Amino acid sequence: MPHQKSIITNLLLLITLLLVAAVTCFGQSTTGTVTMSATVSKFVEINSGGAVTLTGNSGGGVTTDGVANSPLAVSINLGELGPSNTNSFVTAQVPLKLRSNANYVLSMSATVTSSGTSASRIVASDVGFGLGTVSRTGVGVASGSDTNATSGDPTLAANGSVNGTTGRYDFTAVRSNLSAFSSATTALSGPIIMNAVPRSNANGLTVPAFFAVKPQFFENGTTTISVTFTVTAP
Amino acid sequence: MLKLTKGILTTLAIATLLMMTATVSFAQTTGSVTMTATVSNFVELTSGGAVTLTGNSGGSVITDGTANSPLAVVVDLGEVGPSNTNSFVKLSVPLRLRSNVGYQLNMVSSVAGAGATSFSLKDTDVGFGLTPAARPANLAAGVDTNATPGDPTVGGSTDANGRWVYAGANSTLGAYAVSGAVLSGPRINKTVAANSNTSLTVPAIFAVKPQFFDPAPAITITAQFTVVAL
Repeated sequence: MPHQKSIITNLLLLITLLLVAAVTCFGQSTTGTVTMSATVSKFVEINSGGAVTLTGNSGGGVTTDGVANSPLAVSINLGELGPSNTNSFVTAQVPLKLRSNANYVLSMSATVTSSGTSASRIVASDVGFGLGTVSRTGVGVASGSDTNATSGDPTLAANGSVNGTTGRYDFTAVRSNLSAFSSATTALSGPIIMNAVPRSNANGLTVPAFFAVKPQFFENGTTTISVTFTVTAP
Repeated sequence: MLKLTKGILTTLAIATLLMMTATVSFAQTTGSVTMTATVSNFVELTSGGAVTLTGNSGGSVITDGTANSPLAVVVDLGEVGPSNTNSFVKLSVPLRLRSNVGYQLNMVSSVAGAGATSFSLKDTDVGFGLTPAARPANLAAGVDTNATPGDPTVGGSTDANGRWVYAGANSTLGAYAVSGAVLSGPRINKTVAANSNTSLTVPAIFAVKPQFFDPAPAITITAQFTVVAL
């Protein structure tokens, strides 16, 4: 009987040893995971598209020019806008550069303040505005159709004329002068601008913004025209 | 008398025979114990320590690696769109390997939640590579074969569409949609105790170049490593 007990005890010890060995073998780690999460947020950007072009001016000049791919902070002196300026229009062409990884809306708001007090002073409707031809060119720029909410170059004959009643020159086309932008109003919109390219890619959508004033017998004084462009991802 | 003598002699002969038998029995002086044992193939993958996250905008290490513990790292890479102006978001994950036989380290990966347009972040946009160093003297001698080109942030260029392309073969997760070898080599450990800390530590590097990807609020990138014995 004691001999049998010894055998059973030895068997139990052997089984335990085997179990421990098995657990030890299975305990080795042979797999592992690396889990990463990330985010791509909507991105829209407006910068200067380059140097400003000022034409038809008498006096005046570009005070702070645009620098391509730098923040847009242009300052221009349009010079003389009274009848002593014999040019047809004083026109400032400001290149804009837009980039996005999503649909975009470019809106604009503008204010015109004049020292004049009469109806003949320069007001917002006397400042023509429009966006020119949109260009989506260069490596990394996505194709797409953009919607220009303005009527283009405000100096085009189709976009304005002398008012037969008042004799004042009116920019008559849709969103062809700054009075249409007294509050933020869409000027341009479209689909995603950039392909999946690094931010260091300097290309983008470029579009010229035209501002034009027809020299007239305005009330004398000084005028300040402020325009703010904002691009958003709807 | 003769009969008595014969009886005595017979008795003596029997006694002698018994004594000789006894002597032969007492001559057993050796014994044997027979043991069997097994050494199985042993390969092991654990964390090699804390991860390193750089170039991130937002994001953080959520579950860090702990040396000699199971590898189960979780990291938020943060923003990988164009608002992140860093060159790369880069994650270095130290892997720790031990074996008593030749080994092969495999990886399988996936990218989810990034969208499905041509502008979406894809597995080919996630760079990957291992940067093993020469084995130190406390390991078994041998040369490990790296199936990746190494640090994915080295080299690379933009393609005809302006998108970033990582240099070399097996340099992105696109190469590991199904399990594939990333590293292999001969036996790692010398004959040391199981609790020895000697091991082969290899950094696994993941990288994403911030680009104008399609917006995606919750991208998940998973990489699973498995080590097997050759």
